[in-house]
Amino acid sequence: MKIDFTLNGSEISAEAPADMTLLAFLRDILALTGTKEGCAVGECGACSVILDGRLVNSCLVLVGQVNGRDVITIEGIHGPNGKPNDLQQAFIDYGAVQCGYCIPGMILAGEALLATKPNPTRHEIRTAIAGNLCRCTGYQQIVDAIQATAAHRFQGGDNGRA
Amino acid sequence: MKERFDYLRASSIHDAVKLLNEPGVKSRPLSGGTDLVLLMRESPLICNRVIDISLIPELHRIYQQDNQIVIGASATFSEVIEAQLIQQTAPVLVQACAQVGAVQIRNMGTLGGNVANAAACADSLPALVCLNAKATVVTPVSTQKIAVSDLVLGPNRTLIPQGGLITDLRYTIPPAGSQSVFIKLGRRNAMAISRLTVAALGRQDDSGTIREVRLVPGSATPQIRRFSTAEECLIGRLPEEALFRQAAELVIEEMAQLAGRRWSSEFKEPVLTTMILRALNKIFDKDDKDIEMAGKPK
Repeated sequence: MKIDFTLNGSEISAEAPADMTLLAFLRDILALTGTKEGCAVGECGACSVILDGRLVNSCLVLVGQVNGRDVITIEGIHGPNGKPNDLQQAFIDYGAVQCGYCIPGMILAGEALLATKPNPTRHEIRTAIAGNLCRCTGYQQIVDAIQATAAHRFQGGDNGRA
Repeated sequence: MKERFDYLRASSIHDAVKLLNEPGVKSRPLSGGTDLVLLMRESPLICNRVIDISLIPELHRIYQQDNQIVIGASATFSEVIEAQLIQQTAPVLVQACAQVGAVQIRNMGTLGGNVANAAACADSLPALVCLNAKATVVTPVSTQKIAVSDLVLGPNRTLIPQGGLITDLRYTIPPAGSQSVFIKLGRRNAMAISRLTVAALGRQDDSGTIREVRLVPGSATPQIRRFSTAEECLIGRLPEEALFRQAAELVIEEMAQLAGRRWSSEFKEPVLTTMILRALNKIFDKDDKDIEMAGKPK
């Protein structure tokens, strides 16, 4: 079937089988491999993307469901000239990235939270990333990085987006 | 490779029901997809076409009609949690939906889907039964309102006919002064499948006498229902610890009658007792607060 949607701000048109998930479509057809497959059953959050402003597991979304809608993947989160944005830089600064596999999902979970709650509590940050598993168990640093970014943006800091 | 199933998006309830009942093709409604997409991987033969109902605007409406709150079946758990009308009238449902999965699942999964899938551990079911909620079930020839407690027959079994669609869930706003609560026990805080849940609602009069109580344990019995024997023992009485313990005992007896004593009973009975005590403490104002030892939800 034909899929027309907005991906990271650009109009995309592509063919995909109707029984394909958004995750497989992003990785195998569009070759955007930043979105990771972990459990493939909606438990781990590695495949998180933002669909019409809401964080979802792309392994549970059928490709047809995104027709006419807006999707943001990790490839759409960056600073000017492709450099890290402030949240990504904070992940680096706070040592939040270990093996890295969960990080695209974590960044999107962080962005989805900060878009609706600019000044979250630590508890709210933990709730926001509760569906994102980090098997290196570096949660403390991840929460620190999101909290620091929230404070930075709350004080009027530029989020460094292009 | 041949596609296992086709995808079609319905534009209205009428359109969805028509597509679901087209002869010669096995169709299933797709709402949040958090259950169906996985089920189709395990059992590819359950359908050869999905009808996406998740973008039908009327299925997302949450509104008040007379003294009832109507929730479109494709309202996501997140939409239910954020709806002021539900926050004000049914905290038990907001709390139950907030316990579902994690944010990703709550952004996708829908109230109608939770009822139609009827998992034994579905968090919204005890809350809906506690609210005496009804589901509107539409087929090409009928529109019926069925109590959720009757609609769900047991784990993954409902009265929804083939080709039928839940279009909304509705409850009568509980009388002023009602307090409600949802308590969940899982193996961890987030992303946990419920081991046991309790949805409870109660109301006292000015003298403190209990005038109304609804107690619905979840994940405890095959059919989700109000435990009326325990409820009746509380009505017309003043809340106190001995009474709450008596009610909790009746709940345990009723669970054993409905579900039989099972390998898990040794664990579930004392745990459910504590959860019932916590729920009753939460919804009723007592003079003595001795039940603190049973602990309170945070």
